[in-house]
Amino acid sequence: MKPLTPHESASKHVSGEAVYIDDMLVNEQLLVGRVVYSPHAHARIKSFDFSEAKKIPGVHAVLSHKDIPGHNQMGPVVKDEFCLAQEKVICIGQAMFLIAAETEELCLEAERKIKVEYEILEPILTIEKALEENSLLGPPRKMNRGNPDEALKKAPHVITGRLYTGAQEHWYLETQVCLCVPGEGKEINVFSSTQHPSETQSLIAEVLGIAKNEVVVEVRRMGGAFGGKETQGNHAACWAALLCWATKRPVKIRLFRDDDQRITGKRHRFLSRYEVGFDEEGKILAAKYELNSDGGCATDLSFAIMERAMLHVDNAYFVPNISVVGKVCKTNLPSNTAFRGFGGPQGMAVAETVVDRIARSLGKDSAEIRQKNFYGLDANNVTHYGETVENNRLFLIYDQLMKSSDYWNRRKDVEAFNAKNEFFKKGLAVTPVKFGISFTTTFLNQAGALVNVYKDGTILVNHGGTEMGQGLHTKMQQVAAAEFGVRLNRVKVNATNTSKVPNTSATAASAGADLNGMAVKNAVDILKGRIAEAVAQIFTEKNPNPPTKKEDVIFQDDMILDMMHPERKIAFADAMPLMQLRQVSLSATGYYKTPNIGWDKEKGWGRPFHYFAFGMCVSEVLVDVLTGLHTLLRTDILHDVGDSLNPGIDLGQVEGGYIQGVGWCTTEEIKWDDKGNLLTHSPDTYKIPSVQDIPKDFRVELLENVPNPNTIRRSKAVAEPPLMLALSTWLAIKNAVSAVVDHEIEPEFSLPATNEVIVLSVEDLKKRSIQKRAPEFSPAK
Amino acid sequence: MSNLNDSVSFVLDDKVVTEDFRNSALRPTTTVLNYLRSLPLHKGVKEGCAEGDCGACTVVLGELQPDGTLRYESVDSCLLFLPMIHGRQLITVENLKNDRGELHPVQQAMVETNGSQCGYCTPGFIMSLFSLYKNKNHPSREEIDDSLTGNLCRCTGYKPIIEAAATSCVHHGMDQFSRNEPQIASLLKSIPRESLQLQTGQQLYLRPAKLSEALSLIRLHPEAFVICGATDVALRVTKKHEILKEIIDISGVEELKLISDKPDVLSIGAGVSLSDAMGSLENNFPALYEMLNVFGSQQIRNVATFGGNLGTASPIGDTLPVLIAYNAKVVLSNSAKRREVSLDEFVVGYRKTARRPDELITAVVLPKMRNGSIVKSYKVSKRKDLDISTVSGGFRIDLNDRQVVENIKLAYGGMAETTKRALNVEKFFVGKPWKREVVEEAMQIFDGEFSPISDARAGAEFRTIAARNLLLKFWSETIS
Repeated sequence: MKPLTPHESASKHVSGEAVYIDDMLVNEQLLVGRVVYSPHAHARIKSFDFSEAKKIPGVHAVLSHKDIPGHNQMGPVVKDEFCLAQEKVICIGQAMFLIAAETEELCLEAERKIKVEYEILEPILTIEKALEENSLLGPPRKMNRGNPDEALKKAPHVITGRLYTGAQEHWYLETQVCLCVPGEGKEINVFSSTQHPSETQSLIAEVLGIAKNEVVVEVRRMGGAFGGKETQGNHAACWAALLCWATKRPVKIRLFRDDDQRITGKRHRFLSRYEVGFDEEGKILAAKYELNSDGGCATDLSFAIMERAMLHVDNAYFVPNISVVGKVCKTNLPSNTAFRGFGGPQGMAVAETVVDRIARSLGKDSAEIRQKNFYGLDANNVTHYGETVENNRLFLIYDQLMKSSDYWNRRKDVEAFNAKNEFFKKGLAVTPVKFGISFTTTFLNQAGALVNVYKDGTILVNHGGTEMGQGLHTKMQQVAAAEFGVRLNRVKVNATNTSKVPNTSATAASAGADLNGMAVKNAVDILKGRIAEAVAQIFTEKNPNPPTKKEDVIFQDDMILDMMHPERKIAFADAMPLMQLRQVSLSATGYYKTPNIGWDKEKGWGRPFHYFAFGMCVSEVLVDVLTGLHTLLRTDILHDVGDSLNPGIDLGQVEGGYIQGVGWCTTEEIKWDDKGNLLTHSPDTYKIPSVQDIPKDFRVELLENVPNPNTIRRSKAVAEPPLMLALSTWLAIKNAVSAVVDHEIEPEFSLPATNEVIVLSVEDLKKRSIQKRAPEFSPAK
Repeated sequence: MSNLNDSVSFVLDDKVVTEDFRNSALRPTTTVLNYLRSLPLHKGVKEGCAEGDCGACTVVLGELQPDGTLRYESVDSCLLFLPMIHGRQLITVENLKNDRGELHPVQQAMVETNGSQCGYCTPGFIMSLFSLYKNKNHPSREEIDDSLTGNLCRCTGYKPIIEAAATSCVHHGMDQFSRNEPQIASLLKSIPRESLQLQTGQQLYLRPAKLSEALSLIRLHPEAFVICGATDVALRVTKKHEILKEIIDISGVEELKLISDKPDVLSIGAGVSLSDAMGSLENNFPALYEMLNVFGSQQIRNVATFGGNLGTASPIGDTLPVLIAYNAKVVLSNSAKRREVSLDEFVVGYRKTARRPDELITAVVLPKMRNGSIVKSYKVSKRKDLDISTVSGGFRIDLNDRQVVENIKLAYGGMAETTKRALNVEKFFVGKPWKREVVEEAMQIFDGEFSPISDARAGAEFRTIAARNLLLKFWSETIS
């Protein structure tokens, strides 16, 4: 499937002409901004003194929380996050002071001259310790259906266990960056790498103590975001704004890579516990889940993320009796935040571990157990939170993928290989993804657009979504062109700007194209209505018998015509100058809110999602059990994006999301020392997948002929769901590890499956296998 | 030094550019990346990590060859000091469109395959692809992967980029650069290859053109940082913001770029890039070749040298264990004499070597092996490529015809503060049959050999188990 429409910026990307914030040409008044952050995970600030730093020529401002003219707050939902530390520091990386100077070197020199006295306090650095001390960011969340306790008692088999899933660094190529340029009076123009310009605008207004109409935030494009700039893009923006305000000069803050990794939050690590009952066939009868996340030092989006984890702990499987408890731990680490999947991966990892264990304990293939537990098409199709799984594609995808991937024959080959090889083992696994689309905070499911048509027939689309590489602007360009019936290059999508479309939601939850696409369509429909009326008049004036009705005016092939009298037509571009003469407004705003959703957070019941996205993945790996090195031999993916708005872009999202998930599942390990220092703070020690790590044989297909009802051009969201396809890779590795003992013992396993986890798991299996096989040597007997 | 010159000249945008360090904000340690980004029309090059791990800053250097042609090599501009490109052509992503404003074949292919998403890594990938385009026609998948290992992309999953490489690198490297080559070559020839002495404020940067000059400079400046590819030393500037007072850059010394291949010994000059060295290693020193294959990235190997890798004496030093296994020697020279030191004795402590202050590493000497010796190299790392080893091993075994161990050398990296041999295990093996039971017995006594640390890469327990397991791996790969 060849892309018909490449990314709208592709030729700028490849020629280096695409302008990112750090590339913008600013006048010589530009100052370099720097954030000075806490070196301690938990300490009281006894005193600080930056008088010496201020004296350095070329240093224009050194600021502390005392210099904030408005509120010292940048918490996005809960106001529990200081913009600059006050009295205490609660994680390493917390912003304390800001410096603006003429060069980066002067900033560093000034930083060295800031004196701070601390009283060191005991930090909480693990989920275990936080739970022990009941250090939570809020009350636990609960969901329940049926009677899991009772059902567990009756279940023929019960397994219990715990699963640790690690944090993940976003590693967007463009680190957090913001440029602020002062305007006249209180005006401030902000160029921020943010997924949420409206929130950036609000928070800047609040820290500066000015009205929101003084602040304009603009985002042309981000160099990657993945959730890492949903709330935490705000931080650099607030800091740069404070320095700009204090100096009345343009100020740019661009975080150095290591600082970015140290300062910003990550994907939440989870420590989850499960107790699951099932029958002889492997059908799940009951489950009790406890999900504990590390929220870090402040709330950020942690509760929405926990909520999504709880909403996805079923993944694709029907569980009749279930209880889920979610606790968000408060620790002395940077506040963890949104990351593609938004809790979904952590919840699904538990579900997939459970199914995998059931299969191993019954000596069956896990594919069989999975299929047996899928949500049904007509029965067993209501989730544990009350939403019916409509348009269920699980069986369709499963049947196609098992066949196209030749799963069962390859299973035999894997077993034959493993029987012959001691030091290398192969593993194979298939895992499904069912991912709910919509913000679970229901009111966020809205979007706006502003579409202008100019006299030369060109169209400028503004919408509330931001471009971070996902191709949203390309899709919006396509939507506008298709709805207007004009050729693509008539349409340009503007940089996202809060003065064009106000009060927007973050570009997040995979919903960017769904929401903004509908808003763009709405604006186009309004304009088409006005244009059609005027054009009908024009046609009728020329040829009154019969008159052209405005309902008959259609837009296609770059023309406007009367479909009842196709000879009555005018080129789109020729019609536009006439609109101005006839005093027709060629500017319209569009708006959309997702219909028929609603969700009671307290009861944990309702219809949080507009629809579900589905996908499935088969992975085969080769593991060197002596060193833990693993190679991804082959991956087959079949993913559902409805009627794709742009197959090239959607395939890119599926492939890229999957590989990002592979990183989370395999090599991306985040470590802190016992003081709370991040040890993996640069790509030297933090390893995202390279070109060598992708499957040697990588087959990705989009499910065909599956239009999605009630969405823009019958498409489906794509961004997040494919990331979770990577769980098949993780379980394929586990499958290879357990082959060391012929799948007779459940391996100790966690995520990511680094070479260390693999080798230690193999060692442990060998020891337990010896114990199991030689009970007569046990001294206890 | 004769012919002193305090400015640096190179070709950029088809013109000779001369940067005078006396009257500018430039420092000798200003990186090529920061230099380019200070220009209004070269902001395509990006900083992703400032440590040579992501390749967003990749540029291509054109270097004049003895036959008058140009050679094109990708490098990380974040780790390259500006004086290091003296006499070379600097090619950036902005230079790739042709005179008619059309995209280069590699650029066009990236558009068509959807090879860019957020686009931030893209200029770097384009330059790696351009280097591949100029050097390989119809590259194999392995060659494509190898040329892109030094570029990280977080969006695409690489598949479309691999496709772009495969579909575009099919024109025998022909493009406007081929057509302009004679003009560029004559521009490069017009730049004198003389020694540079750059003095700014606190820094002295010396770039001798001759070995004799280099040796007298090291005597005069024994504290100076000696660099050739600078891929390690540059981190002091880019990551730790150190101001290096004295630097001797030997990358301009042609005498150090020689490889001498004799029947019994291979000698590699200290200035030979690892990429160039690899060509002479593949047949006689396969274990070293394999290690270099997963050492850094093409951008790094195009400038990094054995001299540099040994000179830093890192406790991991990916090449060190395997060089020890090959009984390699380091050649150390001062103005008066040269001496050879076996690698076993070269590293004397944590990042300390036997090099005396007035000496330079001038070559690495590898004795060719007799029949019956086997050398293998192992790298245990979180990610296979462009990742520093958690544990590395360079093992050598000499078996007699009854499969009894006559000699064995087991050198490990990552297990102590220096590269270290498992001497007790070696002793245990000598005279014993090379059998699994014996290897497993040796694994029992292995744990006493090392007390590795836990760090960002891995825990001590894993290091010990993996290192021990390498014995079994070595055995399984050497039994006939």
